[in-house]
Amino acid sequence: MAGIWIYSEDTVVAQQLMTMGRPLADQLGQPLCVMTIYEQDAPEFVAAGANKVFVLKGNSAWPESYAPAVAALAAKESPTALFIGATLRGKDLAAKVAARLKTGLVTDAFAIRFENGEIETDRVMYGGLAICTEILQGIGVVTIPPRTFEMPNKDTSLTGDIVLVDAGVDSTMVVGNVCPIVRLGADITKAERLVCVGRGLGKQEDMKLAQELAAGLGAEIGCTRSIAEDYHWLPNETYIGLSGQKVKPVLYLSIGVSGQVQHVAGIRDSKIIVAIDSNENAPIFAAADYGIVGDLYQIVPLLTEAVKNQR
Amino acid sequence: MGEEEKFDAIIIGAGPAGTACAYILAREGKSVLVIERGISAGSKNLTGGRLYTYALELVEPGLHAEAPLERKVVREQIMMLGANGALTIDYLDYDFKQEVPQSYSILRAPFDEWFAAKAEEQGAMVAPGILVEDLIIRDNKVVGVKAGEDEMYADVVIAADGINSFMAQKAGLRSDLTGHMVGVGVKEVIELPPDVIQNRFNLATDEGTARMIIGCTEGIQGGGFLYTNKDSVSLGIVFSPEAAAKQGKSIHEIHQNFKMHPAIYPLIGDGNTVEYGAHLVPESGWRDVPPKLYRDGFLVTGDAAGFCINTGTILRGIDLAIVSGVAAARAVMKAADSTAVGPAYVKELEQLGLIPTMKMFAGWPDIVAIPRMAETYPRLANEVLRFMFTVDGHVPEKMPKAMRAIVKRHVSMSQLISDGWKGVTSV
Amino acid sequence: MLNIIACYKWVLDEQDIKINPGNLALDTSRAKRKISEYDRNAIEEAVIQAGECGATVASLTFGDSTAKQSLKDALSRGPEKAYWVNDNAAQTADGFVTANVLAAALRKIDKYDIILCGEGSADSYGQQVGPRIGALLGIPAITFVSELKIEGTKVIATRKIGDCTEVATAEFPVVVTLLPEINKPRIPSLKQVLGAAKKPVTEWKASDLGLGAEDLSPVNKIKEIKGFVMSRKNVLYKEGTPAEKVAGLVASLTKEGVL
Ligand SMILES: Cc1cc2nc3c(=O)[nH]c(=O)nc-3n(C[C@H](O)[C@H](O)[C@H](O)COP(=O)(O)OP(=O)(O)OC[C@H]3O[C@@H](n4cnc5c(N)ncnc54)[C@H](O)[C@@H]3O)c2cc1C
Ligand SMILES: Cc1cc2nc3c(=O)[nH]c(=O)nc-3n(C[C@H](O)[C@H](O)[C@H](O)COP(=O)(O)OP(=O)(O)OC[C@H]3O[C@@H](n4cnc5c(N)ncnc54)[C@H](O)[C@@H]3O)c2cc1C
Ligand SMILES: Nc1ncnc2c1ncn2[C@@H]1O[C@H](COP(=O)(O)O)[C@@H](O)[C@H]1O
Repeated sequence: MAGIWIYSEDTVVAQQLMTMGRPLADQLGQPLCVMTIYEQDAPEFVAAGANKVFVLKGNSAWPESYAPAVAALAAKESPTALFIGATLRGKDLAAKVAARLKTGLVTDAFAIRFENGEIETDRVMYGGLAICTEILQGIGVVTIPPRTFEMPNKDTSLTGDIVLVDAGVDSTMVVGNVCPIVRLGADITKAERLVCVGRGLGKQEDMKLAQELAAGLGAEIGCTRSIAEDYHWLPNETYIGLSGQKVKPVLYLSIGVSGQVQHVAGIRDSKIIVAIDSNENAPIFAAADYGIVGDLYQIVPLLTEAVKNQR
Repeated sequence: MGEEEKFDAIIIGAGPAGTACAYILAREGKSVLVIERGISAGSKNLTGGRLYTYALELVEPGLHAEAPLERKVVREQIMMLGANGALTIDYLDYDFKQEVPQSYSILRAPFDEWFAAKAEEQGAMVAPGILVEDLIIRDNKVVGVKAGEDEMYADVVIAADGINSFMAQKAGLRSDLTGHMVGVGVKEVIELPPDVIQNRFNLATDEGTARMIIGCTEGIQGGGFLYTNKDSVSLGIVFSPEAAAKQGKSIHEIHQNFKMHPAIYPLIGDGNTVEYGAHLVPESGWRDVPPKLYRDGFLVTGDAAGFCINTGTILRGIDLAIVSGVAAARAVMKAADSTAVGPAYVKELEQLGLIPTMKMFAGWPDIVAIPRMAETYPRLANEVLRFMFTVDGHVPEKMPKAMRAIVKRHVSMSQLISDGWKGVTSV
Repeated sequence: MLNIIACYKWVLDEQDIKINPGNLALDTSRAKRKISEYDRNAIEEAVIQAGECGATVASLTFGDSTAKQSLKDALSRGPEKAYWVNDNAAQTADGFVTANVLAAALRKIDKYDIILCGEGSADSYGQQVGPRIGALLGIPAITFVSELKIEGTKVIATRKIGDCTEVATAEFPVVVTLLPEINKPRIPSLKQVLGAAKKPVTEWKASDLGLGAEDLSPVNKIKEIKGFVMSRKNVLYKEGTPAEKVAGLVASLTKEGVL
């Protein structure tokens, strides 16, 4: 029956994808369909413009276990393309679905276009160095990061079918001990100003330097993947980059960050990028508007002082 | 540790010296281990980029034909920079295009990688990404090396670890490097399309230029070089770090100013810098070759032994490194027992002409070191030519008088005599 | 005895890739290759786990002839043997093709209990090959794992997925994809590098695995790959005292109106 299909275990993300899916479906002259595992959310999708909502009813609370069901339904209905929210759970499911459908999978597409009768996607390659444009073939499975698109407007007068589907779930894994990670700081993706720390910081105590500067600037603190994953000095959701958060502050200021392409991939939308690093050849300077080549232990205290005086 | 873990030879460093030595020993059936600290051979090396092919022929006849060489050098040039111009002597010789001996520009990363792979084909074991930290010495004989937790043993250990040879120091054969013994080399590889290179340097497709440049180091003793590669130009300077420090100039600054010189910039304009780095060069020739090149179970080769010649018109290190590697391999093959290897090595160095050549150029560093060579004389030469070519409608001065005036502006008679004397006696 | 297989990809080092500023084409001619970063964690974890439970470890890669160079590197990190699917199909392979090849290789290897993959490869970062292999072999795949325990005939894996952690348990055989925080890959020692040269390598072509053209043809059509360039002001304060540099920066930022 064709159609543009959307799935996410996160209802908010699924609706964001509908914002992209609606015009695409219209251009193709095909329906926009949403799959969900939450029956109670189905009307919301209709209000957001879904022509049809499939509710996958299975006996598992673990979203990833619905991969066989999503794949089976897609195989049966043959959508033109299946867009899945690129949360980590979504990526896991998307890969398993694509494998079952024997089709391609575009991970983390940031742009989708309909051109010359075909659907094109853009995604980054080589850590952010390049952009790869692909033309979908077969049932094109694509994952799209959360917040890539705004929420759609709701209209409760809209109508659409809600279809319940018996879902076979993958029960080869047992999942337990689900433990939410408590967010410590503010959401860095919304911060206006960010101080970003990297491995140039010698010890965890030196985080104080960054905190004082951030306080002076009224900024939040973000970090590189190394700081979060190797050192565990800051929680995972505060690392910025390709596999971390994409940020768009007015001011991004890094200290002791080398600026490898995977990190820079997350800061490109910043208005002003400032870097402090002792290595003049650090790639971060090529990505920065302003930079100081110097020892952060000398520079940062002076900068903190100067910033305080300015304000 | 099992018996089979002992090698006939361990070679420290996969530069041209170490690899040449490993190639021959492995080919002759010896068990050879080459340990290189770089992630691959060539990854840590930097060089101006000219190889005289006779040296590779000593390793294996015909080998140079397979090597990743860039361009065959047919134009030898000497360039003297003036303040706002330059005088270039351009010597074209198509005999240089014939068979060996000839020379080619090379890029060290691909060359070293290729050469090491060749040695591996012969059966040498190459262990990259490993830093040798120490020698194992027992009963006054070097018996192996230490890298991290590991110890590895061999009948002979060959230091081919380059100019800053910690291994020769650990063996007690040389002392710490001092400033006057070395030059600092800075080099940049600038990418340009092949046809642009051919046009700018007046070359045919496979031909290259080697240019030595004086007057480019802001009065600091030293000089520059420029080699044309297939699709890039290697541009750099080598100068005395001591003299530079005295004048408070940074390496980077001097190099940048050199690049921007009106006679240099047009040669590299529109090019993309794809590589930039600095490295030391042995500068004092024969005088700083350690008095002893071996001890029981141990030989020093290449830059580690100070085998480098810089005459101001040519810079030779790679070929000498290879020759010394060949000499070391031959010595290991010929010597009856471990105590005979060292003397046999020196004998090979004599026979292959390396030591006689080094001795022959022993005095040259004094010429290169004449402070006025780096600025005064190149400027002077430029002014002489400017006088000869200036036509402005005025009545020109008489030639001898003008010349005297120009010379006097730059040097005193006594300086001229002293430099001339130095020049004559050094050669 | 348990069999652990670590999958790694031999990728271009993105730091060596140049972008032609004119047409934004990528120039990979000077690029060296490396074992994809997070696959080093996969190999390391295989070796660590094997040390604890006495398993044998093999590495598995699908690459073209350039991947020959990777074998010594991989083996010096601890596996006892290496499998290498040497086929030019790797040059154009997408996640679909790669998973087909690796799953076929695993079927041929026959004995596998735990298959370890990186969370994503450094070049394409598709984060899909691991779970795809699981689906193709009909076995569970546990992704984004930050902690792994082997107990009897099952793995107990802690996943870190955005805003929560959870513990997944599955019986062998199982695919696990690892986050880099799980361990710190070793820098191989001299003896490990030397030992690697003596370890056995099994080499196959894709055709040896019974794969046909359909399994080896990427699905989506690549229209173009273009360098991403970011133009920034690149004003650098590098001369002078720290105080002077800071003053310079503060003045600039004030002018930008961001202070
Ligand atoms: C597939 C993949 C995905 C990745 N995703 C991400 C991602 O999303 N986000 C991310 O951040 N990384 C990511 N990475 C990792 C990335 O490649 C880098 O390894 C990482 O960003 C480096 O972190 P860093 O800058 O803190 O450390 P380093 O690279 O070690 O840099 C430290 C810097 O500090 C400087 N420094 C040291 N001392 C001082 C001093 N006293 N004063 C001033 N400066 C000093 C040094 O000069 C250096 O530039 C990814 C990698 C891969 C392979
Ligand atoms: C700027 C510049 C321009 C030059 N131009 C020319 C030229 O045009 N023509 C010419 O003939 N010569 C030139 N030279 C000189 C030439 O580069 C050297 O003489 C030559 O490289 C010496 O070779 P080698 O094998 O002795 O040492 P190297 O090439 O320095 O090799 C030494 C190797 O040992 C390794 N190593 C060092 N220590 C250890 C350790 N502890 N453990 C393991 N490995 C170790 C290093 O990583 C390196 O790979 C130039 C030099 C410079 C700096
Ligand atoms: N060509 C390959 N050979 C072996 N393993 C691979 C290959 N490509 C991907 N993998 C494995 O799959 C993981 C995820 O890759 P990707 O889906 O490309 O991000 C990698 O970290 C590797 O462990």
